[in-house]
Amino acid sequence: MLKSLIVHISQTMLLMLALNAIALADEPPAWLKQTVSTSLPTYGKDVHAVVLHDESRKTIEDDGKIKTTSWWAVKILSREGRGYARASESYNTGSSKVKDMRAWLIRPNGQTVSYGKKETMDMALADNDVYNDSRLRVISATDDVEPGCVFGYEIITEEREVFSQFLWFFQQGSPVLMSRLTVSLPPNWRADALTFNHAKIEPQISGNSYTWELRNLQPIEPEPASPRMSKLVAHIAVNVFPPESKTTMLRGFASWKDVSRYASELNDPQSGFNDAMAAKARELTASAKTEFEKIQAIGRHAQNVNYISIQIDVGRGGGYRPHSAVDVFAKNYGDCKDKANLMRAMLKSLGIESYPVIIYSGDPHRVQPEWPSPQQFNHAIIAVKVSDATDAATVIKHPTLGRLLIFDPTDDDTPVGDLPDHEQGSFALVAAGEAGDLVKMPVTPPEANRMERTVEAVLGADGSLKATINERSYGQAAVEERRLFKRAARPQYQKYIERWITQTAPAANVLKAEPADSSQAGQFMLDVEFSSPGYAKTMRDKLLVFKPAIVSRRSSVFLTETKRTHPIVLEAEAYKETVKIKLPDGFEVDELPDAAELNQPFGNYAVTYEVKDGYLIFRRSLVLKPSVIPVEQYTAVRSFFSMILGAEQAPVVLARK
Amino acid sequence: MKSNRPTVYLTLCLLWILPSFAFAQTKEWKPIDPAHLALKAPLVEKDADAEALFWEVYVDDASNSGTDFIHYLRVKVFTERGKETQSKIDISYFNGTSIKDIAARTIKPDGTIIELKKDAIFDREVVKFGRFKLKSKSFALPAIEPGSIIEYRWREVYEYETNYVKMDFQRDIPVQLVRYYLKPDPLAMYPMKTITFQGQIPGFVKDKNGYYLTEIKNMPAFREEPNMPPEDQVKMWMLVYYSPDVRKAPAEYWKDEGKRLFELRKADMKINDDIRRATTEAIGDAATPEQKLERIFDYCRTKIKNINDDASGLTAEQLQKLKDNNSPADTLKRGYGTGTDINFLFAAMAGAAGMEARFARIGDRSRKFFDPNFTNLYFMGGYNIAVRFGDQWKFFDPSSTYVPFGMLRWQEEGIPALITDSKEPGLVKTPISSAEKSMKKRQARLKLTEDGSLEGVVRVEYTGHFAVEMKEDNDDDTPEQRETKLRNAIKGRLGGELSDIKIESANDPLKPFVYSYKVRVPGYAERTGKRIFLQPAFFQRNVAAMFPTQNRQNDVYFHFPWMELDDIEIQLPDGYALDNAEAPGSINFGESGHYDASMAITKDMKTLVYKRNFKFQTLMIAKDLYPALKQIFDAVHKADNHAITLKQGAAATTKQ
Repeated sequence: MLKSLIVHISQTMLLMLALNAIALADEPPAWLKQTVSTSLPTYGKDVHAVVLHDESRKTIEDDGKIKTTSWWAVKILSREGRGYARASESYNTGSSKVKDMRAWLIRPNGQTVSYGKKETMDMALADNDVYNDSRLRVISATDDVEPGCVFGYEIITEEREVFSQFLWFFQQGSPVLMSRLTVSLPPNWRADALTFNHAKIEPQISGNSYTWELRNLQPIEPEPASPRMSKLVAHIAVNVFPPESKTTMLRGFASWKDVSRYASELNDPQSGFNDAMAAKARELTASAKTEFEKIQAIGRHAQNVNYISIQIDVGRGGGYRPHSAVDVFAKNYGDCKDKANLMRAMLKSLGIESYPVIIYSGDPHRVQPEWPSPQQFNHAIIAVKVSDATDAATVIKHPTLGRLLIFDPTDDDTPVGDLPDHEQGSFALVAAGEAGDLVKMPVTPPEANRMERTVEAVLGADGSLKATINERSYGQAAVEERRLFKRAARPQYQKYIERWITQTAPAANVLKAEPADSSQAGQFMLDVEFSSPGYAKTMRDKLLVFKPAIVSRRSSVFLTETKRTHPIVLEAEAYKETVKIKLPDGFEVDELPDAAELNQPFGNYAVTYEVKDGYLIFRRSLVLKPSVIPVEQYTAVRSFFSMILGAEQAPVVLARK
Repeated sequence: MKSNRPTVYLTLCLLWILPSFAFAQTKEWKPIDPAHLALKAPLVEKDADAEALFWEVYVDDASNSGTDFIHYLRVKVFTERGKETQSKIDISYFNGTSIKDIAARTIKPDGTIIELKKDAIFDREVVKFGRFKLKSKSFALPAIEPGSIIEYRWREVYEYETNYVKMDFQRDIPVQLVRYYLKPDPLAMYPMKTITFQGQIPGFVKDKNGYYLTEIKNMPAFREEPNMPPEDQVKMWMLVYYSPDVRKAPAEYWKDEGKRLFELRKADMKINDDIRRATTEAIGDAATPEQKLERIFDYCRTKIKNINDDASGLTAEQLQKLKDNNSPADTLKRGYGTGTDINFLFAAMAGAAGMEARFARIGDRSRKFFDPNFTNLYFMGGYNIAVRFGDQWKFFDPSSTYVPFGMLRWQEEGIPALITDSKEPGLVKTPISSAEKSMKKRQARLKLTEDGSLEGVVRVEYTGHFAVEMKEDNDDDTPEQRETKLRNAIKGRLGGELSDIKIESANDPLKPFVYSYKVRVPGYAERTGKRIFLQPAFFQRNVAAMFPTQNRQNDVYFHFPWMELDDIEIQLPDGYALDNAEAPGSINFGESGHYDASMAITKDMKTLVYKRNFKFQTLMIAKDLYPALKQIFDAVHKADNHAITLKQGAAATTKQ
């Protein structure tokens, strides 16, 4: 035992020495060469690369400047893993620099290749923005590697960041043999960290250096309807604290109130208004009779502001500071925080108080309440203070600010009174200075986001079908339909409808497709008429076989695998359909599928069949609650969706009398 | 856009100080027509979200510093969608090109004008890699709303000489008026020429300051559709180039070019002793000229590594170190070469075997259909080898590793090739391989269980152009990647469980592409209380209709004729028998092809035998005939979805 400990210590020391050494120009550094001989555990055939070494050392200087050195090595196990032979580092022009970036490849036969400045690509990180000073340096060896190769890199960056908080993910999905973060602080500074998706990881403290380390992390495979990687992989959030007497440019956050104060400092000075804005706000609300109608009118204006992203000074908090509302009003374009800020300013001109809300868009389960940090968010919306007269599903009760109507003016398909589904239930920060705090966003009930469909059809004795479909979608279900309608030019939308109908009704001829969008009422309507010459299959003119589920539902959950590792994430859905089919004369129903009813804590489904006065009446309904279901219940979830699929495939058989 | 410009320093110096008329164009806005401001609906296409009122391009090739393009676009926005799509402008450019004099403004419906401020134009370096830089000037039009007019202009300066410049007349939105102003280089050795495709423009007329003008009105937006001819064959565009005057009839021009090119490249087919020896070895015991040539063909595509092939297995570093081949003997000795090297080696070896071989220039019908009346080699970028058999030329391309002997890449079939020769050069149309040469042969031996599940063994074989496509798609992948790709494709269509997947000959030039697998699809057949409904066309299960939409803007274009042969046997569950079964029957498409689907039951009444034979061999169908084509493919789709009924305890009845 003592011997093995000595060996372990000396290996670690050697590695530390190797890491400190400057690599020779073309020769891989010693630490990288050492990784080549590392023995690997046995992995499944879906594992294409293993990270041998993932290390970062952040040295924080007394003035807050941060120097980061990163060492990373990966072994490519198969040709599918070639994409891992890539070094990349993001930086912001103006606040950070990639001082050095070098990479090496060690082939199985020991031959080495080195990559330096000449092989480095420098590119814009956000290509769609009109301007964004975030950039990416990349060295790619993907065309040079083969299975058995070890690829590694060293990167040195220097940054003058605004936050004294860092996130460290111990893996991205592939297996990792060793992952380590070291933070070295000036005298009298201290650090602590929160651990996510793993038992608490205690740091090793040596002088003023803190090291967090994990070894032998197993691969994490993606699965359908599973939580995002951020909810699966082990990571830490590190906070560093300078001595109280020390003033630095680094900003730390001990509570959500701190984050609120910071966000208010950035937002409030930008939310002034001028006479033109005030006049426009009055004009927009001239016919509004209630507080809610006023907010609706201003919300609509903010939604119509063109979404254009211009990100300057991102590394110094520019990503959190909106452009002045006066500028955004004049240009009529801006990004999420600009739209929220403009709306705030216009409401202010009408005497309505509101607050910016920062939120994570895209995953309502992402934000960790125990880590107060603006770095958890990627989006800005608004909370409008409302009186008791305003009643909407998106009103929350804040302990100090009172009733707040939550609204996202960037999503121009979701009206005031509703909230995008990927934000519902999420933790978000209401930035109201001292009064601000992290709060949970409202969740609208599945029934408020339902689709209702009625189909009236006539089936011919030759199998032909003529049908009229009337769809009415509400809430977030309407948003899906509206988005499709608004993003596609009219001819493309027509083609989309034709493809949808012909999926289940062969050779269908779409005679009419009339969409009607009532955005402010949160409703979308679609009326379709079509004929299909061979909808029902004829069997020697004696039988007619057809599916009463004439058109498909718009979304489905497919869980085909028998085994599963991760919890199941279900999004809210509510759907109801009645299909009334006039049966052809001379035929009678010979076989009807069985009615079915499924009830689970996460959802309910029912399907019924009824024959009455020469009509077949088919009804189906589904309600899914937004849920994260433990993996132990996977069999029940899979069975629920398989049974729905089976029920909707079941045919009706008519026989000639 | 200059070509072979003689050096005349004095004239250049004079030009340097002359103000350019075109340059002045970048400094002025044209007056706004109040009718345009009042316009409520598009004029060219009724559903357009935005419409360009005009689109003007000045091309100044007389500039002393290269070629200047001055662009000026005025767009009317009608809808919110138009506002979103038109408000952000990115002008991309590379090293050697610069973008200058950008100006933009928004004219609101009430006539208020909001100018784009200079500090709202961002110069972004999108990608930098060594000396290569892709940059972009980006800006957003201010205060844009439905009803606004937006306009912007910029100068694009090419600091190097260019020739063969493609100029579009269509954009993603309709355009009321397109104007091109061209100022040719007065010092160019050859005259500037233009040719327009898919449309007619009025001739160029002399305009001010040395420019020549052409214009066209009411250009519809260009939109892509599935199975359409190549974009350059559909969209209206113009090629501008410098070239000597051709005062010959096309036939004579091509003949002369054939002679000239032959003289230019004949050394590239030179035969030496090494080539003779290799040829003798390759031919072996082959008897007929065709057999001999096939051996040489296979030798070239299997023994010589094509370094242009993405599946060559060579790393970027290794490729950089390879030496250039200067002769077919070099290619033979080194065992590698570019595609052109391999084709010239093939020609040399064919010559060594006593055959008459010539290289041929050829176009690419995936880009543009060749028209011999355009007397220029611009559209003939490819190289093939023609070998004379009696009084006929046959064409070969061993550089396309997976194309079988006797075929060319589909892109090169059915188009004229220019055979080079010192005496009898000329254009000869390459043949189109018959549908029988590009087949999908599929076989399934399956068993249906009482609960509607289907399980069994499947084998699929691709030949001809299908095999080329599959091999190109798979040859760079690992066996695991190939399996994953295939598994995903089949599971995406059928669901179910797959095992024992085998993929053969994914990178073998000589054999068909074959894969096989075991499959189990729960719920394949629909079950009711007393019946099972079964779709025998297993390979067409869940395949969407090929032409689901009713209207068509473009002609329909298939790449090559093809056939599908399916042979399926399904063992029926015990206790069930066919109930009123009938076969879907046949559909005859005349010269275009046919569809036959037949069904039978084995004598022991336990196994259903289904055979499907589909052939289609018309490549181009005019858009006017789209309804008829849709009807054919809908009928095939319906027949493929045909189901039979099995009934518990029923006496079997079938009809074919």
